[in-house]
Amino acid sequence: MRLSLLVLPLALAATAALAHGPTPQKVSQSITIKASPDAVWKVAGDFAGIGRWHPAVAKAEGSGSKDGGSRTVTFKNGGALTESLDEYKPEEHSYSYRMSDPDLKALPVSSYSATFTVSPDGDGSKVEWMGRFYRGDTGNEPPENLSDEAGREAMNGFFSEGLKGLKAAVEGGKAK
Amino acid sequence: MSSTLVARVLVPALVLSSLPAWAGTVFVTSQQGAQLARVEEGRVTGGTAVASAPATVAAGGGLVFLSHPDGHAITVADAATGAVLRRLPYGGQAFGLAVPADGRSLFVADWSGNRVDRLSVEDGTVEASAETGRDPAHLVLDRAGRLFVADRESHRVSVFDGARMTRLATIPVGTAPFALALSPDERRLYVGNVRSNDVTVIDTGSLTALATVPAGAMPYGLAVSPDGARIFVTNQHAGTVTVLDAASLTIQARIGVGRYPEGIALLDGKAYVANWFSDTVSVIDLATLKEVARLPVAEGPRSVAVGSTQGGAP
Repeated sequence: MRLSLLVLPLALAATAALAHGPTPQKVSQSITIKASPDAVWKVAGDFAGIGRWHPAVAKAEGSGSKDGGSRTVTFKNGGALTESLDEYKPEEHSYSYRMSDPDLKALPVSSYSATFTVSPDGDGSKVEWMGRFYRGDTGNEPPENLSDEAGREAMNGFFSEGLKGLKAAVEGGKAK
Repeated sequence: MSSTLVARVLVPALVLSSLPAWAGTVFVTSQQGAQLARVEEGRVTGGTAVASAPATVAAGGGLVFLSHPDGHAITVADAATGAVLRRLPYGGQAFGLAVPADGRSLFVADWSGNRVDRLSVEDGTVEASAETGRDPAHLVLDRAGRLFVADRESHRVSVFDGARMTRLATIPVGTAPFALALSPDERRLYVGNVRSNDVTVIDTGSLTALATVPAGAMPYGLAVSPDGARIFVTNQHAGTVTVLDAASLTIQARIGVGRYPEGIALLDGKAYVANWFSDTVSVIDLATLKEVARLPVAEGPRSVAVGSTQGGAP
């Protein structure tokens, strides 16, 4: 009895954690920005600062830009997602992170991870945002709004809209 | 997983006699590219078009098997030529595969069905089944016929008698176990835990966990060196392979590979790593622990398995 009482909260936590299906999908977007990588990183390198430049984000809060750091992103559509950093590499202007629990209202996917990298490109910078996700319904007959295609559209849209917002924020000299 | 599969590959002598004398073949499945590629002596020597979105590849008994989670099917191909022989219908979401030494049956993990089935390799008839934990991922079979299952969302490994499909043990491991690999002497089972970023070491005698040690960001594939001294772990989120010393269970080296590495297999002093996002296979020299080549393959390589025409470990 004592054992089962100890185990129960763990079991509940486990079912709330992400469960994803067997077939991943790619997402990849990039943009060039007329500013040095350092200048871009100053804005984009703050993991929890995404609310300052992403047009679809209402607000973001976080525990710091470091390995294991996390951010909770509230979308303008009302959904919210918590993401945690796997690797934060400021010297390489790059970080990798993954989603915690899914919120299909925010993005119609059951799981994702992504890498954000700023690199030199001529006099300016290139920003790459790429990742891997699983559709919202991982069963074999997903509804249209939770299919691979719906996930691709939403993820590519979120990344590309974000990069345009970042470009505007950096080149315009001010965050949104 | 690969090291155990290697030990079970016995290509019939008839086939052997008509083939050039290479040491073995690494089979690579590409998900989006829907291809089964063959890598021999460090280069891509062939590719076969297969049904869409293959996930896992396993080899045994002169055959190669590919699971299609979204396609209700398993592809059976000829290990000597790579040619597709037939399609086995499968009711569930086939993911992990394991092939017994006799090559007559095939174990399949049904990801969303929370079960493992043993199928006839002739026509896919389900011979026996057992209930697993939630989201069973990869499978491995030892020489005694015990089947180990990574129950990903139950955070444990289930152990079955593969002949009777009765449960022998349930072993708690790290968070979200996914990949499995036996040591060559089969005294240890290594388990990669994708969310706790570590590897659990299981004693296969007592069927208990000995230790859980850090590996890297999202361990997704495992292989053990032929002498059992080193464990190779692909880290999907870091784009690296970490090398663990089997005695101290500490990280000896980190080797950069492509993006989103998944499956890994060892053959003839090299490791082959499927880089899912980069559409390449990294070749790592096991003596220098350096990446020596990146072989382009069809889009989305996920899984690798070794088929040996010599019928022995590499």
